[in-house]
Amino acid sequence: MRSNKVGWWLLAPTLAILGIFGILPFIYVLYLAFHQWNPFGANPEQVFNGANNFRRLVFDKEFLLAIWVTLKFGVFAVASEIVIGYFLAQLFMREFPGKGFFRTIHTLPLIVAPIVVGSIWRLMTTPSVGIIPFYANELFGIDINIGRDAGTAFLFTVIMDIWHWTPLVTLTLLAALLSLPKDPFEQAQIDGASRSQIFWHITLPMIRPAILATVFIRLMDALRTVDEVWMLTGGGPGAATRYLGLHIWKVVFPKTDYGYGAAISVIVLYLTLVMCWMLYVGLVAPRNKGN
Amino acid sequence: MRQGLKAGASALILAMLAGAMPAWADFWSDAGAKFKGVTLHGVTESTPPSNYIKDVLAPQFEEKTGINVEIETTSWDQMYDKAIKDMEAGTGIYDMVYIEQDIIYAYLARNFLVDITKTLKDDPSLKAPTFDEAKFTTFADYFKNADGDLFGVPMEAFIKVYLYRTDLFNDPEIQAAFKAKTGKDLKPATTHEDYTQIAEFFTEYGKEKGLDLWGTTSQAHTGHPASWYEFFESVAPTFGVYNWGINAADNYGASVEHGGTMNSPEAKTALKYLLHLRDIAPPESAASTWTEVATTFAAGRAAQGLVYGENAAWIASDPDQSKVVGNVGVALPPLEPGVLEAAEAGKGYIGYYDGGAFGLPVTSKNKEAALLFMQYIGQDEVQGPWAVAGSRITNTATYDDPAVQELDKKLGGYFTMLRDQGKLFAGAPPYPFHAQVREATAPIFYEILTGAIEPDAGLDQMAAKAEEELTNLGYRK
Repeated sequence: MRSNKVGWWLLAPTLAILGIFGILPFIYVLYLAFHQWNPFGANPEQVFNGANNFRRLVFDKEFLLAIWVTLKFGVFAVASEIVIGYFLAQLFMREFPGKGFFRTIHTLPLIVAPIVVGSIWRLMTTPSVGIIPFYANELFGIDINIGRDAGTAFLFTVIMDIWHWTPLVTLTLLAALLSLPKDPFEQAQIDGASRSQIFWHITLPMIRPAILATVFIRLMDALRTVDEVWMLTGGGPGAATRYLGLHIWKVVFPKTDYGYGAAISVIVLYLTLVMCWMLYVGLVAPRNKGN
Repeated sequence: MRQGLKAGASALILAMLAGAMPAWADFWSDAGAKFKGVTLHGVTESTPPSNYIKDVLAPQFEEKTGINVEIETTSWDQMYDKAIKDMEAGTGIYDMVYIEQDIIYAYLARNFLVDITKTLKDDPSLKAPTFDEAKFTTFADYFKNADGDLFGVPMEAFIKVYLYRTDLFNDPEIQAAFKAKTGKDLKPATTHEDYTQIAEFFTEYGKEKGLDLWGTTSQAHTGHPASWYEFFESVAPTFGVYNWGINAADNYGASVEHGGTMNSPEAKTALKYLLHLRDIAPPESAASTWTEVATTFAAGRAAQGLVYGENAAWIASDPDQSKVVGNVGVALPPLEPGVLEAAEAGKGYIGYYDGGAFGLPVTSKNKEAALLFMQYIGQDEVQGPWAVAGSRITNTATYDDPAVQELDKKLGGYFTMLRDQGKLFAGAPPYPFHAQVREATAPIFYEILTGAIEPDAGLDQMAAKAEEELTNLGYRK
């Protein structure tokens, strides 16, 4: 009985912080999502409007486009990061000259603030100023203009995200690979398994939890990316890189459409949960069932 | 006898002045004494005039009053974000906020700001003897309510001017080539047709000679409101489309069908003009906001362009930042026939009168001390060096400062133009829904810039979207 009380007291600070900074704001956002509220409207007061904000979402082309481009961005960026991250992790499993130096350099992007990452990439990609358009033109005769070409702008937001976050994936997968027991691999080699067989039937299943956790984290991050993209393209050209996070920011802050912005936030949270649940069901549940 | 009376009166005046002078000199220390140790917090956009406040005026004020001043200079978006959140939530973090001319109507509608005139009247002990509202230029009118009370101390004001390269325009070889090609003399354009011809000529000239030179700048970012502003505040008015094409007097109609001009034939011509110039401007234009336009011109990459006046001084005079020092001319923007006459008659305007003021949020916890600082930056005596540092003038006395007159020569008469022809320019229309309508229509505008939507159809869509947004906001019935 006494130990229960001590446990609650010990948990209390965490619960209080979670309640104040997590649950209360969420309840407030949920409350706002059912109101029309623009402080610069003719009526600046909050007016209850039922589910109208959610109804409006369904017909909002900008919002639907933002979902589509965000999903594309998430899939391309996260898939690339997992593949590149895995190969880099495998590379770091081996010994080679300058390994420590390379690993340090490779990890540096992780400590750079997203807004700075955006600024760096903007400087590198601005036509007439950046080194990327310059060398693309000098060496290959390609004109790169992220201000005018939607595909190029999208590509560079993906590359920027890969540059920034692949080290996180590498470190996570490296930790997973280093923790694997050696026995199954030795037995497979004795039995004459090929490298691809070992990868598909031993390595991949054994590091699947780490991959899944990384995918969850990176996907959630990708769905709410704002600062890097805001700095690089401002969401343009047009709406080509107006990802959900940026879209919400524009609706809530410059446009001050707080009620509608709250509704979008709630829906995005719901979508994120659904996607993670689908991933979980698709990748983890069958395995547990098999076990 | 009369001589004696005159001498006596002069002596009396001198004695009164001598008595008053120490009181003026001591006003700041006396008034600041009761707020000694207080720290004022201000937020503003990072521009040369704001940086001057932070680096020069704030330390001066601290020294004279003992009141500490912390000025946060940040990006345009962040400045608004922080100020509005603070005033909306009533947190009282900021004692001074930068109010750009275009947002003042929204702030007044929300009662965010302290009435400076009334407060100083109610408490004369706070009134600095060297602060006089009547000294401000007419730009201060934008920060007054219907009763003429001031809600912000104007700290910067500029007109968006037509800058051109005098070295190129005065080059006999180039003049001859231009004459041969167009049959016209090369001189700053007064019409859109002339401007286009000059722009086309220099872009071709740059290409032929292998130079990094284009005929015009273009503020045509495809994901930033700067391009939207370029059209509605700088280009469309020169075609006779005013107030963003929204007719406030007729139920806020934006489409021609509902009494507006946002999709009028003039607006459509203006947009095509902008798009054509964008196509012959330097390649960075599609990613250029107002800042990049200035740096493009300063880098010598454009022969002419519409540039915000706040950048004129450093472009024309700072060799550390500009390659075109001494080669900058200033002129009025090119216009359609009849637009200048309309502006002179007070029925229109020819370009954007940009600027802002320092306002005092009602949520401030240090209102009296903040009022002292705001009066300090509004006095005559600080204006001259500030104008030289930031090419801004908000006080009529500034024009007579010798340093300002000297700089005016280097700027090709920019300050003279501001004084004499500033009245032809106008700030943003008095809409409390400024950012809301901009954000509602800007995505369509960006699509027009990328070519995803045709300009005529795009303006039709923008007019419809503006009306939809105004209806949602409750302004359009």
